[in-house]
Amino acid sequence: MSQTKAISGPYLRTEQTTRNIMLHVSISLIPALLGAVYYFGIKAFYLTAFSVALCVLTEFVWQKVTKKQVTAGDFSAVVTGMLLAFNMPVTVPLWVLAAADIFSILVVKQMFGGIGSNFANPALMGRLLVMVVWPGTVMQYTAPRTLAADAVSQATILGTVKAGGEAGYSYLQMFLGEVPGAMGETSKLLLLVGFAYMCYMGVVNIEAALTYIATVTVLTFIFGPSGLFTGDILANLFGGGLIMGGCYMLTDYVFVSRRGKLLYALAAGIITAAIRIFSAYPEGICFGILTANCLAGVLTLLYRQHIYGTKKNVI
Amino acid sequence: MHLDATKGFSGGIHPTDGYDKSLTMDIPVREYWPETVTILAEQSFRGLCSLTVRPGDHVRQGQRIGEPEAFMAAPLHASVTGEVIKTEMVKNQGREILACVIRRQEEPERQIGDYEKKGISLSGIDREEILEGIREGGLTGMGGAGFPTFRKYETDKQMDALLINGAECEPFLTCDYRLMTEHGYGLWNGVRLLLKASGAKKAYVCIEDNKPKAIENLRQILSEIREQGVLDPEEDLEVRVLPARYPQGGERQLIQSVLGREVPMGGLPGDVGVIVSNVGTAKAAADMILGKRPLTSRIVTVTGCVKNPGNFLVPVGTSARELVKLCGGVTAQKNRIIAGGPMTGPCVASDWKGEEELFYITKNTSGILVLPESQYEEQPCIRCEACKNACPAGLTPYQIDFAYLNEDYDLCQKLYASECIACGCCSYVCPAKRELTLRTRMARDLVKQRMREKAVKKS
Repeated sequence: MSQTKAISGPYLRTEQTTRNIMLHVSISLIPALLGAVYYFGIKAFYLTAFSVALCVLTEFVWQKVTKKQVTAGDFSAVVTGMLLAFNMPVTVPLWVLAAADIFSILVVKQMFGGIGSNFANPALMGRLLVMVVWPGTVMQYTAPRTLAADAVSQATILGTVKAGGEAGYSYLQMFLGEVPGAMGETSKLLLLVGFAYMCYMGVVNIEAALTYIATVTVLTFIFGPSGLFTGDILANLFGGGLIMGGCYMLTDYVFVSRRGKLLYALAAGIITAAIRIFSAYPEGICFGILTANCLAGVLTLLYRQHIYGTKKNVI
Repeated sequence: MHLDATKGFSGGIHPTDGYDKSLTMDIPVREYWPETVTILAEQSFRGLCSLTVRPGDHVRQGQRIGEPEAFMAAPLHASVTGEVIKTEMVKNQGREILACVIRRQEEPERQIGDYEKKGISLSGIDREEILEGIREGGLTGMGGAGFPTFRKYETDKQMDALLINGAECEPFLTCDYRLMTEHGYGLWNGVRLLLKASGAKKAYVCIEDNKPKAIENLRQILSEIREQGVLDPEEDLEVRVLPARYPQGGERQLIQSVLGREVPMGGLPGDVGVIVSNVGTAKAAADMILGKRPLTSRIVTVTGCVKNPGNFLVPVGTSARELVKLCGGVTAQKNRIIAGGPMTGPCVASDWKGEEELFYITKNTSGILVLPESQYEEQPCIRCEACKNACPAGLTPYQIDFAYLNEDYDLCQKLYASECIACGCCSYVCPAKRELTLRTRMARDLVKQRMREKAVKKS
């Protein structure tokens, strides 16, 4: 991967760059960041900034130490840092966030070859690490400060509903984000604004995101808690991290561009829904998408590509 | 995957928004006759001729001066009337090639023949006559690799369609467009000659929809020729409009686009009953057969970062440097000079100030393009598969790239690297700026060589 001054043909190239794509994704996360500050205070901003800085620094140091091409400035670490922070409650201890950042960038991303070569989404792996090692910090959430309720730890809406309780919040509150949850993902409205921006900029795979979200919604509705067709559609859609997962985690370029991407999105949706319906975990986003990440390579094999001038198709 | 004719070809890109072609689209072709011409004995790659003239000889425009020495060669003719001042090796696009330098002594004579003003009855001309005419007239493909035209037409295979390629999908080039808008009659008469030579049932003149004036002009002239009553009832002619997309004008892509057929792997268009020729080639065929003028001149687009871009009708052997000077010189200090279009044309010089010679116009030079210098750093592949979606051959360039870099040539072969058409779409779309075209093409050449070696071993 040497620096090439004199390029070879073609001499016309698209203006789109990796950096641009990642910059657009970062920009699309800004509305959600503003929402996090509004609902959880300025601390949300500091945490996000810390996470971003640490991710970029980790990537930079690793690439310097291993004498690899430095790509820390391509904004992909910024996206990972933002997503990781957004997935934590505002009460998260700094060192837990730091552990997630370093694990994501160093182990999941760089040790497998850096951008484009990761076997699973780094941000989700970071979240998984925290979920498994320090479950107390990410399973209990703080209510937004706009609700006047003191910073009491609460279960998420999906958790409460799953336990048979009342959600306690209106669907509008869920949509706007006035509910307890991880700091960047409570407001579905703002996440969707960001998603719309990505769509406009053409940097996201809309079909895959929609397939995933629709699969989870439909399956959780059909196999509801009190029999067939009794699921709470809106609570499933807006009560948890589905929008965040579908729009930002599932659509990692490494997995979603392959042949069979819709099958990949469908698989992620089915696993997520199964976890929501059958397991003790109320969310399932993290496991669903990570499992699908690992399946993506196999699913690709089911699709064949036509080579011009051949009758056969190549795997 | 079955593609029907209206669906077009697979993959492809829209490289520009049209500003590139608008630089020269509406500028009529101007004739330019240089004082000296440097006619290369090798007009196209592997198309070597031996020169039959010596310094001091007086030659007339159209006089034969070179005999084909290779399969890829066609006879060569003097492009101006004058004196041969020397035959020497000249540097052309980084290679030393034998050339014949002629100093022009007379003003060129150019009458406009009947065939450029109306439809001509072709009943008195038979197929053999046309074939001989295009063979002796040195006709080669004027759009691409410069393959001798008669080799395509002299075949026993039953052809079914003749595609006249006016797609001109390469950005910046407008020479074919100008030809289609200015030389409609000559072009149609040439198409009819080639249709007769091919024995095909029908000829399609294929034009992209971003050239409405050319489409309108050719349709109108076709209807005028019909009214003139010179068409044989068997002459089935059509203007086929195609949605603009690069590389529509690639031979294989055009066949897929218009007829929904695919040329089999390792085969030629003739295998599916098709011959493809450029519009320039068709017009030149008319000049040869009806105007008795061999191929000695062509239209060249000079465009990009030059002061006054334009389209020029020039004799073969005109110096590219002179043409750029004629256009007022380059306007970008940091520049890159490209012979042909930006997608497939080779870069012949960078940061060129206008002093040294660049190259000499051959029968298949479609343009001289000056682009501003651009620099990219290759980034790691992000597996976005934009290259795969853009590849008209259906390949996965980034995987071939990895296999090639890992020196796994068996894998390159399994990934059908041999089918790369080097159109440049993959490098164009790559957000990581990887040199996919360069390495896929190298993988292709390597795989093809290995396949040949294996075939030799077996036999």
